Formats: sequence, structure tokens, C-alpha cells
Amino acid sequence: MISNRKWMWPLLGGVAIVQSALLFDMIYERDRLLKSGREVTLAVRPLDPRDLFRGDYVTLGYVISRLTKSTTESDPDFSGFVKGGDAYVTLSPAPEGGWTNSHVGSVYPAKVAPGDVVLKGKVLSIWTSKDPAETTVNIRYGIEQYFVPEGTGMDLEKQVREHKIEAIVAVAKDGTSALKGLVIDGERHEDPPLL
Amino acid sequence: MWSPYRKRLTRDLDRWRDRGWLSDEGRAAILADAETGARSFNLASALGILASVLFGFAALSFVAAHWEEVPRLARLLLLLAAIWTGYGAAGWLETRGHTYLADAAVLFSAGMFGAAIMLVSQMYHIAGDPTDGALLWWLGTLLAGVALRSNPALALTMILVCVWSSMHAMESNLVHWPFLIGWGAVTLAFYWQRWWPGLHISALALTLFVISLGYLLADGHSHDLVAIIGVVAAIGFASLEKQRPDRDAIAEPLFVYAGTAAFAGLFALQFIESRSTGRLVALAVLTLVLLIAAISHALSTGNRGALWLAYLAFSVEILALYGVTVGSILGTSLFFLVTAIIVAGLAYAALKLARRSSGGGLTV
Repeated sequence: MISNRKWMWPLLGGVAIVQSALLFDMIYERDRLLKSGREVTLAVRPLDPRDLFRGDYVTLGYVISRLTKSTTESDPDFSGFVKGGDAYVTLSPAPEGGWTNSHVGSVYPAKVAPGDVVLKGKVLSIWTSKDPAETTVNIRYGIEQYFVPEGTGMDLEKQVREHKIEAIVAVAKDGTSALKGLVIDGERHEDPPLL
Repeated sequence: MWSPYRKRLTRDLDRWRDRGWLSDEGRAAILADAETGARSFNLASALGILASVLFGFAALSFVAAHWEEVPRLARLLLLLAAIWTGYGAAGWLETRGHTYLADAAVLFSAGMFGAAIMLVSQMYHIAGDPTDGALLWWLGTLLAGVALRSNPALALTMILVCVWSSMHAMESNLVHWPFLIGWGAVTLAFYWQRWWPGLHISALALTLFVISLGYLLADGHSHDLVAIIGVVAAIGFASLEKQRPDRDAIAEPLFVYAGTAAFAGLFALQFIESRSTGRLVALAVLTLVLLIAAISHALSTGNRGALWLAYLAFSVEILALYGVTVGSILGTSLFFLVTAIIVAGLAYAALKLARRSSGGGLTV
């Protein structure tokens, strides 16, 4: 290790401060997103049970996680999608409650209606078939993992499969989203804010 | 100081004194200098490093357990306190002269930093890019390694860069070129530190990256590129070794790493890719010829690492060939014939080399 006595303590302190600051920045970013982001409640779709529960978190699937061109309502633009690239999904409030996706594209939509919410995701994979309308993209938004205390995942997994869970998601203006909590049988479960 | 070295040095010094080359004072001064001059990497230091690694794993598991009895904020503060304690202990140990133990303490803090990143990701259910956490971690340990000139922290950084890149590559099945940025930064730091084992880690990491290109470029069919890079680099380092024998400390290990990449590429071409028997035979002959060339080069320059690698590769190659040819009696017969011819050629080459370098040659 460094043997210069004069600089050793300042450098040790500096490294500790920078590393702590990086951690606080990470916390601050998330905390701000959770507090200030638009809140959207999305239905959680059951996933393949083999994929559902890995270790200490529950994997949550959403309707917008896997989009097929032919079944996507109004205005799908699948042309610009590349693996690893960005994906933007616009959600509009549905009359019967909940949200429907009103636009899908690879760039941030030019026009967003006041009530709409744009979610930014990353294209994980693209499936193309002979019929271009059957093109399917898998998108990850960063809200797919819900971490749970060791050994409590099984109950949650069962409830996800029985359609009893909704996810509370906070969405920032630029489309970044964060998982805020879950609605289990109409009951809100949310971790209290840290800061 | 390692005691075998002290024993040998004492023995040599006694002999030199007896021959009148060295005075009694000179002998005592050399021994005293060897005693204090070499900063000892003793058992305590090695155990300190191991303990830090174990503490790191303990912290990561502690985070993974998501133990609800301890509130999240308390868990975070605990890890932050651990980071600061580690750096504080490093300073204290350094002022007491325990340099290697101070390094172990820095490594401890670097591990706690990673665990804290993981805890924050878990608290906020961040599933976005698990690779972002790895990126932040290696940036933080690189800072610690460079600012505090800590070799173990730099070694950890290189490992984390590799982990970060392989996470990217596994998810996307594409080559993760930013690896080269991280690799370059850590390698520069190793060079700046003049830390030889670190440069070995760098060479190993780059070799693995080159080998991975074969599985990632062109839908996983680029092993020919890996083989060519490896062979060209190996020839380059071999000629460097021949022309500048004073640089053999650099050229020798690099020849071994280049040879590893070349063989990995050729092996994949033969036993993972190859569709036709004709191509397999041609590649197998090429591989065996190259291996014999490598063995003869290793023998003539006394490169033990290359020699053992080539022997190992030769055995693996023969076993794998046996595996694909066995099944038909004719194939097996052909296999033994080819192997016999090659081994006979090898024996002839060895004989010639031994005659040429009799006296100075490497005896194995």
C-alpha cells in the first residue's frame, strides 16, 4: 500500500468519501424517482414457474414485457428496434381502470398526451417470423425483480400465479421507472422511504 | 523473508567468504539488508488477504439473506461503517509498518463497498442493469487501488472488470468492447505499480477475452480469428525472444499466453465447429505441427512454461482426436498411425535440438 505518510491519511479519507458518496448518489437518485415519479399500477402477469422464482427475488412479468406487433393496440412502430437498444412504451389510462399501451417505438414519442406515461426499457431480444406482424420483442424495464426476505418467496410466487398481485411503479419524466411496491389482494405493500 | 532464501543466501555467503571474495563485515551487512530490506510477505499477510476475501463473501451473503430483523437503514450504516473501518485500519497498520496487512484492510473495504452496492440495488428492487452495479464496483475499487497504491485492490478490480464484461456478454451474446477500456486502465495501474504478478493477471484476462471472441463474433463461429491472433502473436513473441534475449522476461510469458489463445481457437475449430472429416484432419495436422514448433522453441530458449503448456495441449489434442476417431476400427488405426508418425517426428526434433544445444540445453 501507499507508504507516503503525508498523503496516506488524506487519500484513505478521500477514497472512503468518494465510495460513500457514490453509494449516497445511488440512493438519492432512486429515492427521488420513487417520490417524484408518476405512479402507475400494472397488472403482474404470471411467468413460467421455472423462471418465476430464483433465489431471493420474485420475477415479475408484465403485459408490456413481451409485445407482439399484431396484438399491440394502435400505433406500433417496431422498425427501429435493435437488440440491446432502447424501447419506449406509452401507457394511457383505460376507461375501465388500469392502463393500456397506446404507442410502442424505439425513440421517445414526439407527442405525449397529458394523462399518458412513457416507460423506457431495453430490448432484450427480438423474434421475427415470416409474417412481419408477428414480430415479438422482449423488453426489460428494470422493474422485474422484487427482492424478498429469505424463504418468503414461495407465498408471493403462488399469489403472482393466482393473479392477485399488481405492481406499483414510479415513472420519471424521461421514462426511467422504479418498482415501488406491490398491491396484494388490494392491499398496498410498500417499503418506507429511507431518506 | 522466506526462510529457504535466507538459508541459501547464508550458504552462498559462507562459500564466498571462504574464497576470500567477501569480508566478514560484508557478509553481515548483506544478511542484515536481506533481513530488513525485503518487506516480508509472511503467513500473517497471506491470511490477512484470505480473511478479507472471506469477509467480503460473508457481507455479500448477509445482503442476499435480506434479513428483516435488522432494518434496511441499519444494514446500510453497518456496511458504510465497515468501509470506513477498513480504511482506518489500513492507515493504522501502515503506520505500524504492516504494509501487506494494510493492503488486506483496503481489500476488505473494497469488498464492503461491493456489498453496499448490492444492498442498495436490493432495497430499491433495481433490476435494470445488474451490470451497472458491477461497473460502479470496479470503478470504486480502481480508485482505491490507484489512490492508495494497493495491489490486491487492483487485482480485485481486474477480476470485477472480467465479471462485469462476462455479465454483459452472457446477456446480449455480443462482444463487450468496453472491456478493453477497463482492462487498459487496470493494466496501466499494474504497470505504474511495477507489479509483475498483476501484469500476469492482465495477460490472462486479455487471453480469455480473445478466446471469448471466437464464441461471440459472427454468431459464435470466429474461432479461426482467435487461432490466427494467437499464432501471429506467438510468432511475434517468439521472434522477440530470439532477437532480444535480454527481453525474455517479458517475451517468455507472453508467448505462453499467445500460445494458449492459439490452441483454444484451434481446439474449438476442430472439435466444436468442424463438420467435415477432411477439414478436421487438416486442422489436426496443423495443430500438431504448431505444437511441435512450440515445443522446439521452448526447448531452445529454455521456456519452461511454454514447454509444459505445449505438452499439456499435445495430450489434450491427442485425447480429443482419439475421442472423435474412435468408433470405427479403421479410424482408430489411422489415429494411432498419425500419432506414431508425429511422436516419432517429435523425438527426431528433440534429438537434433539436444545435439545442437548440448551442454546449454534444457533437460526435462
